[in-house]
Amino acid sequence: MNVLVAVAMALAAISSLGVVLSRQTIYSALSLVVTLAMVAVLFLLLNAQFLFAVQLIIYAGAVMVLFVFIIALLNPEAEDRPALDWRAFVGLAAVAAVTILVFVAAGNGITYNNNGFRALALQGACTTLNAGPCDPYHTFSFPVDAVNAAGNVQTVAGQLFTTYLLPFEITSLLLLVAIIGAVYLTRRAVRP
Amino acid sequence: MISTGLFPYILGLSAFLFTVGAAGVLIRRNPLVVFMCIELMLNAANVALVAYGRFLNSQEGQIFAFMVIVVAAAEVVVGLAIITQIFRLGRELDVDDISELSE
Repeated sequence: MNVLVAVAMALAAISSLGVVLSRQTIYSALSLVVTLAMVAVLFLLLNAQFLFAVQLIIYAGAVMVLFVFIIALLNPEAEDRPALDWRAFVGLAAVAAVTILVFVAAGNGITYNNNGFRALALQGACTTLNAGPCDPYHTFSFPVDAVNAAGNVQTVAGQLFTTYLLPFEITSLLLLVAIIGAVYLTRRAVRP
Repeated sequence: MISTGLFPYILGLSAFLFTVGAAGVLIRRNPLVVFMCIELMLNAANVALVAYGRFLNSQEGQIFAFMVIVVAAAEVVVGLAIITQIFRLGRELDVDDISELSE
């Protein structure tokens, strides 16, 4: 399982570099398809089966087909490769620095046990605020085994249509606005 | 089942994808590639959300990631419509040339 995670993460990282560094736009799009598919594999390994399907259908399917259509329609020219001057090295150093910082922070600032995990900063707050015995490991009410027993799609849909119903409806309104905007933008101009 | 020891690596991958996407937005001049880099950044956020949800025994991360995917799809539709309109006007596809709003 860990080997699978490592392979998916390595492929996602390499193909994300391909998105930025490819000179041809179509190669960028194909690299992005690989990245999105590998992110979908990570979703599956992170026990998000519903999002795995959504990621493949909407992102790797619909959105990337739209991208490839537009690339075929517009046929943009290949870009010149950006020169390797000091700005490129500053950018590379920034990418490496942010990645290493987040990795170190996630490795050191968070402690784990079998019940869950918590940020270290919460440790003191737990002992001072609560007089009685308290479990410093904050856990939510959806442990993986219970979710898998009930079904991932069922639990996600159950929360989506009860607790998060209002954001869900607002999202549908957003999609409607996007449809109207796209139709308005791509219509032929009316001659006066 | 994925082990909790992998959580820092997944967060590191999320940060890597986000910074690569941000660098792409800054250095590329083709608006189509800029949009792809924005998709990359949104996906990095999704990876972090789902990973936190998984290791906190929560489902909220997945629901929020679902919302992010919907917003990204809507954004791509409107953005590609704008790009096709720019192309239809006979302009070159270069984000440095399309700067009327900043003048």
